[in-house]
Amino acid sequence: MNDIDPRDDRRGQEDTAVLTELNRLVYQLDAPPAGLVERIQFAVALEDLDVEVARWQRTDSLAGVRGGNPGTITFTVDNLTLMVNFTPSGARHRIDGWLVPAGEHTVEVRVAEHESSTTKADDGGRFVLADVPTGTTQIVVHLVDARGVPGRTVVTPTIML
Amino acid sequence: MGDLRTAGERPPWEGLDGIDRHAACVVAARDGDRRALDVLVADLTPLVWHVARGHGLDRSTAEDVVQTVWLALLRHLDRLLEPRALAGWLVVATRREAQRTWTPARREAALSDELAEQLESEYGLPEDAALVDDRDHRLWRAFGRLSQRCQELLRLTVLAGRAEYRAVAEALHMPRGSIGPTRGRCLNTLRTHLDAEGGSR
Repeated sequence: MNDIDPRDDRRGQEDTAVLTELNRLVYQLDAPPAGLVERIQFAVALEDLDVEVARWQRTDSLAGVRGGNPGTITFTVDNLTLMVNFTPSGARHRIDGWLVPAGEHTVEVRVAEHESSTTKADDGGRFVLADVPTGTTQIVVHLVDARGVPGRTVVTPTIML
Repeated sequence: MGDLRTAGERPPWEGLDGIDRHAACVVAARDGDRRALDVLVADLTPLVWHVARGHGLDRSTAEDVVQTVWLALLRHLDRLLEPRALAGWLVVATRREAQRTWTPARREAALSDELAEQLESEYGLPEDAALVDDRDHRLWRAFGRLSQRCQELLRLTVLAGRAEYRAVAEALHMPRGSIGPTRGRCLNTLRTHLDAEGGSR
């Protein structure tokens, strides 16, 4: 399985032994989180692969927002900022979003194992999806320019809601 | 849709291993075969994960970085000059992404030993409660006490030693048969910590 360069002296053999053990421990104790592969497979199952990735801006760098009510999340890529607020209502969510710079961009919310919900931002860049199912969620923004001509597509990593 | 065109056909990566399998998947994915992308994600996510964790990211930040790297690959698939270079591209992209994810606050914290010590329990390695073997406990604790640089280097070393990730060794210029002076020093420190944890046996 693991054939890390065994050298032919005693030190080399000891190094090899330690590395072999370390290999086993790293894989045993620090494995990727359950479901990560499936979440990524969902995230990359996009119609158009020519996408830019918006990154999650964590305001509190030491606290990952996972589980519970995530409140407002900000994603950015280049000059685009996407702010999204999630309000739980039963097993579903209301999503309030804001895109800067503003424009009548098309916003698609993908939820694993559910139909996508699509809406259009108003000329102030705001959009609302009142009733979105809970689950692994990804936001896809199809940008338009001032004249409404389609341009680039921006996607977020998935978040678990 | 690629799915319709290729459904039922024998996938071109079937029966292939390691770098050959991944190169065949890259070619198929470029051609619109979505199953190929799923295979790559399933095969290589552990690699991306361990590179991100080796760079000192906590598990939840590492998860974001892993997703971002895969999404960034999508538009890069066509620009990848050499399909066999995928694993190397992933390693480089992950390290770059991990770097930019480190916020100034985290970087300052990392500079202070006291803070680093405090952070260790929260952001360090996962609990070793699952380990039965006492020797495993000691080695894991000794590994956790290494500097970030050494932890990354040794993680990359064990990754590159795995047959399925042979491409990583090439991408990182880690020839087989040479541990190198820096890794040698890291291993020495590891051994010293291990002795302090109660002997190597």
